[in-house]
Amino acid sequence: MNKLVLAAAAAIALFATAANAQPVRIATEGAYAPWNFLDDSGKPAGLDVDVGNEACKRAALECTFQVNEWDSIIPNLLAGNYDLIIAGMSVTDERKQSIDFTEEYFPPQPSRYVVRTGTALDFAALSGKNIGVQGGTIQANYAGETFGATNTVKSFENADQALADLNAGNVDVILADGNYLSEVVAGSGGALELVGPDVVIGGGVAMGLRKADDELEGKLNTALSEMKKDGTLDALIIKWFPDKAPGPIFAGG
Amino acid sequence: MLDFLPQWMKDGVGDDVLFWLGYVTNGKHLSWYASVQYTLAAAVFGALIALCMGLGGAALRNSRFGVARLAGSLYINMVRGIPDVLFFLFFPLAFEQLVEWFRAQALCTPETLAANAGQWPPCDAANWFLGTPEYLILACVSLGIVYGAFAANVISGAMNAVPRGQLETARAYGFSRMQVFWRFQVRQMWAYALPGLSNVWMLIIKATSLLSLLQIADIVLWADRLGAPNFTRSAGLVHPDWRWVYYLVLLLFYILVTFISEKAFAALSRRASRGMAVASSAA
Repeated sequence: MNKLVLAAAAAIALFATAANAQPVRIATEGAYAPWNFLDDSGKPAGLDVDVGNEACKRAALECTFQVNEWDSIIPNLLAGNYDLIIAGMSVTDERKQSIDFTEEYFPPQPSRYVVRTGTALDFAALSGKNIGVQGGTIQANYAGETFGATNTVKSFENADQALADLNAGNVDVILADGNYLSEVVAGSGGALELVGPDVVIGGGVAMGLRKADDELEGKLNTALSEMKKDGTLDALIIKWFPDKAPGPIFAGG
Repeated sequence: MLDFLPQWMKDGVGDDVLFWLGYVTNGKHLSWYASVQYTLAAAVFGALIALCMGLGGAALRNSRFGVARLAGSLYINMVRGIPDVLFFLFFPLAFEQLVEWFRAQALCTPETLAANAGQWPPCDAANWFLGTPEYLILACVSLGIVYGAFAANVISGAMNAVPRGQLETARAYGFSRMQVFWRFQVRQMWAYALPGLSNVWMLIIKATSLLSLLQIADIVLWADRLGAPNFTRSAGLVHPDWRWVYYLVLLLFYILVTFISEKAFAALSRRASRGMAVASSAA
């Protein structure tokens, strides 16, 4: 009986390894519009997906997207469950210790605070407030270090849930990526507004991959450089972030 | 999506209804409806494994051998006390690492082991990638082990509820020990066990809502995704937090499954107790 179980387990394991051989498997979060989200057909879409597909096309790679929760997106890359992360991920020194990044496909952008319209906050002496962040983000680290002592920092699994709690009044303010929030505020019909100072944390946004995958990194960097030079990348960014028009963002540089 | 509807029907229901019909039948929502398959598969196969574990556990507990009785009692009493959520998280992870440990013994070389020192898996070749099918199998086994303990308790009680006199009479008439067990004890046991087993089935149905813990895109995870507020116009319909609506649909779904199960178990009970003197008095 024991032998049978072991044999079955080994068979499953071997089959699983054989099944995922060739294409580059890309993980994204699927809950961070317009960076990445599930479109009406239920498939991943957004700037990350467009940039990934364009880069793969130029590098002659076959790529497939899959959805993975944000908090386990780096561990699962390291475990080999997929080969590449394209999920609006900012380059930070901390992340660089465990994974490599390609060239940036989005320049460094400030993070912003968002509140329900009409909420007044004194950011110089914030205390007793509930601050919402997405766990495992650069904003979560920053909020914990800056406000953690006198405020409650609430960590959410994804940005949507943080926003839901902001609307419900469970948190007073959310700190998140400025580009993401400006789209959210524009779509909120006046219910939400940006307040307070810009906060610059971390670098630009890039694709993440295992340190050993130098060949893939080289191919993607070549493709990204081309896309920057000929303006394709700028066009994609403006498509998803209309307030970045008319550019240039990367083109010519 | 709704192009197949004839024009007169479209005119009849109006644009509002058409819009909402289109919305709840877009690909995202279809994925949600399709994800019911994971819930049902986990319930059915989890229940089958639980039934096998239950029969095995009950046989052990009522065994003639002291060691087997001890093993059966240990399984029934210990596993019944474990929270299903905890076991759901523990078992698949522990099993994955066990398999990876065995793979590491076979596949890792000293060099790859050194390169990955202090990390898991021990080397890249030993990594076992768990996709939805693998997690679903592990979820079924987890459900089977946890609820098998409840089923074993029910079945072992039901076995003892079969009147001793009947079994002794059967022995006296020359039936072998095995014949007495299968044709008298197990055959009549079902009538006593089914009400309890229907409870266990309900518990399993409820526990299927935990599938999303194992990264399976089940009905709960999709309800979360679909109900989450969307403020970005490029990502589809802009709407506030609608999760309660989707959770309400899930509540109705589970109530419907409960209702159907009640009917099915009532029919099974009638069948199991046919011809038994106990039938009229059984609660």
